[in-house]
Parts: sequence; structure tokens; C-alpha cells
Amino acid sequence: MRIKVLRQKSPFSKPYWQEFDYTYIENQTVAGMLDELNYKDDLIDINGEPAPRIQWECSCLQGMCGGCAMVINNRPALACETFLKDIKGDTVVLEPLKKFTTICDLVVDRGIIQENLRKSNTYIEEYKGADQSEYEHMYAAGKCLKCGLCLEVCPNYKGGKSFFGAAFANDCYLIASRSGTMENAVKESYRTNFENGCSKALSCVDVCPMKIPTLASIAKMNRK
Amino acid sequence: MKKVLIVGSGIAGLSCAISCAEKGMEATLVSPFPSERSQSVLAAGGINAVINSGETSDSIESHIEDTLKGGCFIAGENAVKGLCESASDILRWLVKLGTVFTTDSDGSVCRRAFGGQSHRRTCYCGSATGKQIVTALVMEARRYEGLGLIKRRLWTDFYCTLIRDGVCYGALFYNEATGAPEILTADSVVIATGGQNALFGKTTGSKSCDGYAAGRLFMQGVELKNLEFIQYHPTTMATDQKMMLVSEAARGEGGRLYYEEKGKRVYFMEDKFGENGNLMPRDIVSRCIEETGKQVFLDISFLGKEKILKRLPEVYELCMKYRGIDVSKESIPVSPAVHFFMGGIAVKNNHETNIRNLYAIGECASIYHGANRLGGNSLLAALYGGKVAAASIGSRTFEKRDIDFSVEHKEASEKLRSMRESKSTYPVMYIRDMLAESMQENLGIVRSSEKLDKGLDDVSFYLSVADKIHYDSSELAYFGYSLPGILTLAKATLICAKSRQESRGAHYRSDFPDTKEEWKAATIISYDDGKYRTYLDTEGRYEN
Repeated sequence: MRIKVLRQKSPFSKPYWQEFDYTYIENQTVAGMLDELNYKDDLIDINGEPAPRIQWECSCLQGMCGGCAMVINNRPALACETFLKDIKGDTVVLEPLKKFTTICDLVVDRGIIQENLRKSNTYIEEYKGADQSEYEHMYAAGKCLKCGLCLEVCPNYKGGKSFFGAAFANDCYLIASRSGTMENAVKESYRTNFENGCSKALSCVDVCPMKIPTLASIAKMNRK
Repeated sequence: MKKVLIVGSGIAGLSCAISCAEKGMEATLVSPFPSERSQSVLAAGGINAVINSGETSDSIESHIEDTLKGGCFIAGENAVKGLCESASDILRWLVKLGTVFTTDSDGSVCRRAFGGQSHRRTCYCGSATGKQIVTALVMEARRYEGLGLIKRRLWTDFYCTLIRDGVCYGALFYNEATGAPEILTADSVVIATGGQNALFGKTTGSKSCDGYAAGRLFMQGVELKNLEFIQYHPTTMATDQKMMLVSEAARGEGGRLYYEEKGKRVYFMEDKFGENGNLMPRDIVSRCIEETGKQVFLDISFLGKEKILKRLPEVYELCMKYRGIDVSKESIPVSPAVHFFMGGIAVKNNHETNIRNLYAIGECASIYHGANRLGGNSLLAALYGGKVAAASIGSRTFEKRDIDFSVEHKEASEKLRSMRESKSTYPVMYIRDMLAESMQENLGIVRSSEKLDKGLDDVSFYLSVADKIHYDSSELAYFGYSLPGILTLAKATLICAKSRQESRGAHYRSDFPDTKEEWKAATIISYDDGKYRTYLDTEGRYEN
């Protein structure tokens, strides 16, 4: 099968396409394929030219850390849980997430996610206890990977300057529902940095690898 | 204001940073990636604590006894006592930070049975306990980040510590953005870099935990401890990319291990150890699975889909996603795989190493688990260790000294420059892969002098060539400069395994199958200019 990768040497250099041949393995994931491509032998592109190893980020390789988020055949996804057998056609096109600065190849700087949470003071401070009927929702929201897939697909997210996106909304829910001191501040921040910018396209819900019910977070925050 | 440099931002690093900030110190968390990428998020099963709502017959003494017994009596009693006595406070702290624990209808934290424990005391968040704790700690750290008491440095890789005359003054890092080395000085440095997975390649853990920091510190004069004790988790599921952990929680909820013979199921653990046989300590279960010589299965289907989805949702999803197995209908094929390192950097009870002002916490430190760790004690140890180190640093006064580390900086610059200019296409990963293959083969569940010698021959050869080879410069420079440290740690591990001529806990020698009283002490290993020296810590040098 053909692997087409949008490559970039550094944040300041021009991106370019490079293609590779790869022998299809049924149960292989895109992450496993990248590892094999990089290290099975010298990396040679389809023109027979030696290529630098493909840079990508990974840690857990089982969908729990969000490191390997990238755009796979135009769909943002985690490489470690995207199987080659589920890809239509015989070409895999890999691109870095486009809403973030590319560091090199498929590695992007997602620091803006944490930076926005930090500057909007998204923390509990005084825990007032939790409503047990909210357990499943809290548990799901607590599993947010901060992988950035929800921001990548969001039509309203433009780099995180004013609209912070779904990852922010879910953390707001976790705080507003359980903090005795930060509830009002978080509600205010939510209004400024999320509510006014969200057009409820809800593409964030479909793409989330942890299946976080972001719509429920939004509904509860809007009611507060 | 005291400045603390913390290398690694998983649960141990976060716990230490928050504790430092609570005491008015300034903590800098340095790591290549944010906390959400740390191995801590993979910790599934739970955290041990004796709590008021628990079994009335349970006690802190019982938790101490189980931990010491599980560790085959070579963990320090005082250290373990401190750990277990603090567990309920740590649990309350986590609840207060908003960790989403699974609770009973009355709101009390649920507990499950875990291997090697006399009572149900493993508190949990579904089967994603580590992830939920990371989420809560990241939020709390954020509060102090806003106050300027916690700072974060990302895209920054550890290079070495800065030591003069037995005192640590900071560390040198590789800045991925500039490609240059960078010195960060501090009153204390805390290493929280996790276990040494890279020694074995495919493990249950993160690819980011490679043991380099421990290996490099060892080469700088830091003593290491108990490296031979490597925990093989009995129930992992093989996939093309890694060994996926099937949490001990699955057996805690009643899961049964068996193999098939003549069309019948043989519940070998129950046959051998009675009805609680599936929950024997991990070292024993792993060895029993290996002894069967057969494909072993874990059955939880009888729990029913509803209970599985409520108590073990991640186990259900993992098996379905990566192997297409519906665990509510089918059994899971399991085998043991490297999961946790009881050994690591030798630390005293305050978590300081033999170098003053240099601390180690979390999995990279060796202190609480002896020869075998109990499930549920690693999260506890990571949190507790961070707090203990912060308390020790907080109680110290530090002398300000201006020390010139330009020689170290220049050496690192030269090394990185020469790596950058390499025209070679040979990747460092080839040597890492060969190392992993040899370690898997020669330092498995059952060891022998012959196999350990073979492993030592292999690793010594890789070490002899590691610095002479030019590597592919399109790989991250970190992979190149970290290789000698990783190989040195591998060699030290094999030497420790060879030196211990008995079987104890996770260290089983086919040529020395008995446990011997004279070996009832930790192995310490030191390094001096290429020479490795081991001794048994019979006097408890690290026990204070």
C-alpha cells in the first residue's frame, strides 16, 4: 500500500509530500506501521531516494495518552487505534494536526491547550463534594487526553486565542460542578471563552477517542 | 525562595511539585511532553489504603505486613510503615482534589481485592485510576502555575545532573527547540522519570520511559538498588505494537485463569492455591503461567456485560478494540510481560540519593516494594514519595554557591553538534531493539547463570560499540546520547541478577531455586570509571 506523509523539517521550513511503499498487514495500526516503516530498514521513498525518519509522537500506544493524534486520510484520529484494515482504498495519507504549530513532520505543539486552561484559572481550589448521579459524566470528562482532536475538527476553533474549544468546556464542567469557590469564576470564563463562540456543530463529540459526552457538559454549563 | 527542579511530570513529579508549592517553594517540572502523556495514565487497577469505610478487620499493620511479605522481606520496614500509615491521608487528599473515585451508594470510596493482600483495600476509579489521578493533580498543579509556584518546561530532555564534591546543584538538559544544551540550577533536583521499559522493548508501559536518567546518574556516581527484581505482570494481551495490560482488577472482580487440556478447562491457580489462587502475588502467578507451557486464558465473561461495563469498562474496550474479543462472551488469551521495576535509584527514607540534594521518586526509585510489588502500591508510593521528598527539601537550608559548569555545557554542545553533523543512516533504534531482544531472552521470568552470561556478553558488546557508531541524525538527538546510559543500566541489571545466587520474589534462578536467609537484603550496585561493584545492604545503609 502507499503511504503519503506531509513532512516538515522544522517549524520554519516548508512542508512537502513524500510517499513510501508499505506491505499491508491486516492487524497493523497506523502507529505500528509508522514504527515499522521507520525501523525495518533504511527509509527509502517511492523514487528510491533516502528519506529522514518520520517524526511522530507516541507514549502509551493504546489510546490512553493522546500523543499520536494526527490527520489520517483527512480524518483526525489517534494513530495507535486506527487500523489499516479500516482504511478505505490502498493509500494512507498522514498529516499533522493543522490547528497547531508543526514542530516537525507529524509532531505538533499543543501547548496552547494547557496554556488556555492555566490562564483561565481552571482549577477546583475548594472541593465541595460531588453529586453521585453525575459519576459517569465526571468519569468520562476526567479521561480527557488533551489530544487536540476535538479542536482540530471544530469549525469555530481558530488557534485558541478567544475560543478555547471542547477540552476546555469539559474541564469547566468538572470544576463548576464540584468547586465551592471557583464556580462563578469558571462560569464567567466559560461564557467568554466557549459559550459565545460555540455553534454546536458537535463534531467534537464524534471525534473524541474517549467518547466524552461534551454535549452534556455544554448543556450543564449553559444551565448554570 | 527555594528552587526545586523536578525531572518528569507523571504522578510522582506532580505530587512533589504540588507539595513543594504548598510549602512556598518554586518547583519547575521538566519533561518532553505534558503530564497527560506520562505512563501514570496507564495505571489501571487502584491505590491501596486502609480507610474507615473499609473492612473492619483490616488495619494499617496488615497493609504493612502484606507489603513486606509481598516484597519477600527486603524492603525497609520503616519506609513501608511510613507509606502505609500515610495512605488514608493521601486518599483523602486525592478525593479533596476531585479525583473521580468509584463510590458506593453512600458516597464512600469502593475497594476491590488485589493480589497478595489479606483484605479488600484497593480503592479505584473504574479501571482508569491513574488517568483520573493525573487529571486531578494536573488541575491542582494549574492552580499553583497561576501563582508562579509551579513552572513547566516542555520539549526538554534530561542530559545529566550537575554534581560537585557529592552535592547536586542542578541539571543539564537538551532543548529540543534549539537543539542546544541548557543548564537549569536549583537547590534540589528530584528525578521522577519512571521505569526502564526500553531495556525490554515491548512492555505494558510507555515508550517514553527508558531508564536513561537512572543509567546516567549511575555513571555519575549514584548508587542503584535491587535492579534484578523486575515484575512480569501475569495477564497481558499481545498485540503487534505492545503488550496490553489486562488489569489485575479483572481478577480482583473474580476473573479466573485457566488452560485447556483434552477439551476441559484446568483452573491451575485454584487447583494449586485454593479459591483465592487467581489473586496470588504477581511473581507467583507469572511463574505458574510460565510453568504450564500452554496458552493461558482469563475468563471474566461470567460477570455479565453490565457489571463488566460498570467495573471494568477499559478492559472491555481494550480487548474489543485491539483483538476483537468480547470479554462478556469470550476468554482473553494472556501471558506475562514486563510491567514494573522494583529496582532503580537507591534512596534513603527521605528519598535522597547518595548525592546530597539529589532525590528520586516514583518508579525510578527503589524503596518500598522489595522483591515484588503488590498491585495498588505503586500509585501510593508515587504520591507518597513526592510528598516525602518535598518535605525533606522544605526542611533543609541551602548554601548558595556559584559553581562553573561550563565544561559540562561545552562537552554536551560538542556531543550534540557531532551527532547533528552525522551523515550516517544507521538508526540508534537498531541497537535498542537488539538490547531488548537479548534482555527478553536472557533476563526472563526464569534465569540462570548461563543465560545471564549470554546477556552480559551481548550488552558488553553493544556498549563497546555504542560510542563509536555514527547514528542517523534525522532521529531525535536524545535517542543517540541516551544510548550509553541505557546500555550501562542494562549491564548493571544483569550483574545484579547474576550476583544474587538465590530465588526471591520476581528473581527466580533455576540454578539457585531456594530462598536463602543470608541473601535477605537489598542489592546495591555502584559504578566507578567502567567498574561495577555490588554489595548486599545488610547494614541497612539506605534504611534511615
